[in-house]
Amino acid sequence: MMKLKSILASKILFNSKQKSISSGPGFFTIRAIFLLIWILVLWIGIIVHADRAESKLYIDITSPSMRRISIAMPDFKYLGKKNEHPDLSSKLAGIISNDFDLSGYFKPLDKDSFIEGPESGVTRDSIHFKDWSVIGAEILLKGGYECIGQRLKVEVRVFDVYSGSQLYGKRALGSVEESRYLMHRLGNDIIFSLTGHPGPFLTRLAFVGTSTGRKEIYISDYDGHNLKQTTSYNTITLSPRWSPLGDRMIYTSFRNSRTVLFMHDVIKGSVAKISDRKGLNIAAAWTPNGKELALTLTISGNPDIYLIDITGKILKKLTRNWGIDVSPAFSPDGKKMAFVSNRSGSPQIYVLNLINNQVERLTFEGNYNTSPAWSKLDRIAFAGSSDGHFDIYTISPDGKDLHRVTQDQGDNEDPCWSPDGRYIAFSSHRTGSKHIFIANANGENQRQVTFFEGDQLSPSWAQHFR
Amino acid sequence: MKRNLIIVTLAVFVCSTIFLLSSCAKKQVVTEEKEIKAAPKEVAKVEKERLAAKEEEIERAERVKIERLEELESAKKREADAKKAWQERRSAKFEAESVYFDFDKSFIRTEYRPGLKKKAEFLKDNLNIHIRIEGNCDERGTNEYNLALGERRADSAKKFLVSLGSSPDRIEAISYGEERPLALGHNEGSWGQNRRDDFVIIKK
Repeated sequence: MMKLKSILASKILFNSKQKSISSGPGFFTIRAIFLLIWILVLWIGIIVHADRAESKLYIDITSPSMRRISIAMPDFKYLGKKNEHPDLSSKLAGIISNDFDLSGYFKPLDKDSFIEGPESGVTRDSIHFKDWSVIGAEILLKGGYECIGQRLKVEVRVFDVYSGSQLYGKRALGSVEESRYLMHRLGNDIIFSLTGHPGPFLTRLAFVGTSTGRKEIYISDYDGHNLKQTTSYNTITLSPRWSPLGDRMIYTSFRNSRTVLFMHDVIKGSVAKISDRKGLNIAAAWTPNGKELALTLTISGNPDIYLIDITGKILKKLTRNWGIDVSPAFSPDGKKMAFVSNRSGSPQIYVLNLINNQVERLTFEGNYNTSPAWSKLDRIAFAGSSDGHFDIYTISPDGKDLHRVTQDQGDNEDPCWSPDGRYIAFSSHRTGSKHIFIANANGENQRQVTFFEGDQLSPSWAQHFR
Repeated sequence: MKRNLIIVTLAVFVCSTIFLLSSCAKKQVVTEEKEIKAAPKEVAKVEKERLAAKEEEIERAERVKIERLEELESAKKREADAKKAWQERRSAKFEAESVYFDFDKSFIRTEYRPGLKKKAEFLKDNLNIHIRIEGNCDERGTNEYNLALGERRADSAKKFLVSLGSSPDRIEAISYGEERPLALGHNEGSWGQNRRDDFVIIKK
C-alpha cells in the first residue's frame, strides 16, 4: 500500500497555483496530503468523504454496469509565445478525448456545448467552473502545450467541476511526431490515478486485413491509428496471437496450399518457421509464461491439440479424441486450457484440466460455440450461434454466469481480451463489412476502432512492449 | 442402130455420171485439198495432246496419292485429337465435378458416390497423374475449426478413392477452410456451394 501511495503521490500536481508543474515529494502541503488520502480512499473503494461532489468521482470499474462520467475536454491552450503548431490544439485534445471515450469510464461532452470564454487558462484560478457545471460536466480536463521546433511540451490537469479541486496534473515532454504516444501515456496515467488501474491506451492490436485482396496481418494502436502492414506473403495468413510480453507474434500462413505456423519477432523484424508438419499447423496459443505454444496438428490423421516449445518441438499431445479439437486458450494460471471440440456432435467449448487431464464441457446453449479467449480476470469469451448469427458471449470458467455481449447486430466473432482483461475486442459485420470493435469487459460501450478498406478480423491484443 | 444404142447408153452414163458428180464432186475436192494441207499440223497437235493428257494423268495420280495420304494423316490426327479431347473432357470433368457436404459434416453423401467411382476409374486409366483434394467450408464458424473440418472433408474423399484401389501416395488431401468460397452470399444457397471438395490434377 505504501508503494502505491508513493506512486500516486508522484503523479499528482499539488500546487495548482504554480504554472509550471512539479511532482517531486518536496511540494507536499497539508492540502496535498488530504488530496492523497482522498484518492487512496477512492481507490480502495470506501467513501468516507462527506462531500457529495467528490463522492461522484468514485469509479468502480469492476461493477457489472457502470455509469459513465461526463468529462469536458476543451482544445488545448498554447502556453508559449509563438505558436508553431496551432493544429495541435484540437489534435491533442482529440487524442485524449477519444481515449477517454474508448476507456468506457467517461463520456466526453460535445465541444459545441462548451460556453467557456477564451480568457480562461489551464490552472485552477483561471477556470470558471460554473461554465462547466452548467453544461453537465462532472470532470474537466484542461491541457496546454508549447513547442520549440519539433520539441513538444504538454501539461494536463484534471479537475472535479463541483468542488473545483485539481485531481491530477502532469507534464510530459517529447516530439511533435510522437504526440499520440505522449497523449496516450498521459491518458494511461490519469486513468491509473482515478481508478487504480493503468489505462489501455498504449496497447496494440494485431488482426487479419483483406484490403490487398489477400489476407495479411496488420498491427495498429489499440484505437486503430498507426496502422502497419506486417506481412506481405500474398497468400492467406490467419490467427495472429501476440506473445504475453507483446514482443513476438505467431500466425498461420499458407505455403504451397498448406498451413505453416510462423513466429514473427516484431522488435527485430525476423520471421521463423515454427511448425511445418504434414497436415494442419493451425490456431496456436501462447502459454501465460510465453515459453510454450499449443496448436492443432493432424499428423496422426486427426485434428488434435499438441503442446510445443517455441522452437517447434513437440512436448506433449494434449487432446486425444476422434473429434476435431482446435482453438486452444490457456487460463491465466496456465493450469487449464479451453478449446473447441465437436466430440459431442457440434462444436462446443471444453476445458481441459492440465493437472489431472480431466475434460469438462463448458457450453451447452446454442448449437455452435467456438473461439474461446480466457481473460486475465478469469472470464472466458467465445462466439456462439443459436439463431444462425454469431454473437459474443462471456462465461465464468465453471460454466456459470453466461453473459451475452452482442445481439441483433450482424455476425460478431473472434473475441479476444485486452492484456488486463478489462476490455474485449471482436470482429463485427454490423456495418456491412467486418471491422474490429472494442468494448468494456461487460460488453458496454461498443466502439468501432478499425475503419480500413476490406475486412478486419481475428484481433489479438498486446500489452505495451517496454 | 447398135451404134446409136451405144452412144445413147454412153450418153446416159456420162450424163448420169456428170449429174452424180455435179452433186458432190465439188465439195469432195475442197475437203481433200484441206486435209492435205492440214495433215502435218494435226499430227503434232495430237501428239502434244496425248503427252499433255499423259502428264495430266500422272499429276492426277500423284494428287490423289497425296490427297489420300493427307486424308489418312488427318484422320489419324482427328482420332488423336478426339482421344486428346476425350481425355481433356475426362480431366475437366474430373476437376469440375466437386463433392458437396452437409453443414458441419464430412461424410460423403450417397449421391456423390457414383461420381467418386468414376474419379477412381480415371485415376486407374491415368497412372501418371497425381491429384490434390481441397476441402472447403462455408463461412460460418471460425476459420480455425473450418480448416480442420475442410481437411476432414478432403480426407473423406481420399479414403473413398483409396478404398476403390487408388494409391494414397498419389492423392494429397488439404484444406482451405472457409478461405476459398465459390459463392459470396450469406445464405444457404451460397453456403451449400462452398461446403465442397475440389479435385485438382497435378501434372507430374
